[in-house]
Amino acid sequence: MNPDLNKSTALTLRVGVVAGMILLVAGLVLDAVDGSEWLLYLGILVLIVSPFLGVVASFAVLVVEKDWKWAGIAAVLFVVTAIGIVISLN
Amino acid sequence: MLMEPLILAGLIVLGLCSGIFGALFGLGGGVIFVPVLMLIFGLEPTEAVAISLIGIIAGSVGASTVLVDKGLSNVRLGLLLEITTCVGAIAGAIIATYLDSWILMVLFSVIIIYSGIRMIVNPERTVEPATGEDTAMTFRYTDESVGEDVRYEVQNVGSGMGLCTIAGALSSMTGVGGGAVKVPLMNIHMHVPMKAASSTSSYMIGITAFSGAITYFFAGEVILAYAACVAIGAFVGSLVGARYARKVPAKHLRKYFSIVLFFMAVLVLLQAGGIL
Repeated sequence: MNPDLNKSTALTLRVGVVAGMILLVAGLVLDAVDGSEWLLYLGILVLIVSPFLGVVASFAVLVVEKDWKWAGIAAVLFVVTAIGIVISLN
Repeated sequence: MLMEPLILAGLIVLGLCSGIFGALFGLGGGVIFVPVLMLIFGLEPTEAVAISLIGIIAGSVGASTVLVDKGLSNVRLGLLLEITTCVGAIAGAIIATYLDSWILMVLFSVIIIYSGIRMIVNPERTVEPATGEDTAMTFRYTDESVGEDVRYEVQNVGSGMGLCTIAGALSSMTGVGGGAVKVPLMNIHMHVPMKAASSTSSYMIGITAFSGAITYFFAGEVILAYAACVAIGAFVGSLVGARYARKVPAKHLRKYFSIVLFFMAVLVLLQAGGIL
């Protein structure tokens, strides 16, 4: 059975955001206890990449479904996003 | 960095409010986040924008865990429109260096006031596929407020993508999120039902914010503990907002959205005039 686009994308987003939230709550506690911020750093990073991971999951499902038109659209979005990041960093 | 409990609570409440708001209307909340973080929490503009983007992502992803799962967010349409939105945002960031921001903010306000009036005056029009058969642009979702399946065909795809480029450019030039332009664009021009339009926008704004947020993050502009509090609040708020978004009647959602647009226009005009 093919994976469902909505369910798979939502699951990926859920894993990302819940992992991020657990790290952030733990990070705030750690910050309050000994001033260490490495968990907060990790939590924010996990949270930030979550929407992108959602696009990756959508792309993977569309490829499995052999829905090449929409998989191509997701692939173009990767490229445009990458160009945007490179321009911003420069 | 140990924070004062009051500041911590304030940031969580700020995130909570914007999360509820964002999930209901498909707006990021940057127009409220940035001035509040600067005026009340005393942050520098770049710090405020960085935290705002992280709050927007938390709200967007939180809402999407519900709205995408239930099929209200149109993932395919979101991916498609996100391409031209990103292209517009890149172009806008380059053009912005040559233009006065107050002119763009006034232009942005005029567009969202016009959109708000159109949404009040014109009734929503959902287009069924002409042949009765599904096409590549036919989508469906279940409207839980009335317990009915809604089937719609997206119209004016090419021009809608073009207008998303302008929305993306305006967003990056003014620093105000694109949801205020994209939701009316999808609803009025592309005939996407209001619930699907706002839910799709909720999903898209997280992807749009990703590029900016990752850039600020690696540039070291993010105050981690502040961002964490805003993100936690926005995540919880988005779950609450997404719950109501599924159940509120589409007609009411459209009316409230118009009112929010007028409020946003006033805020942006105040920012353009240097008052906020």
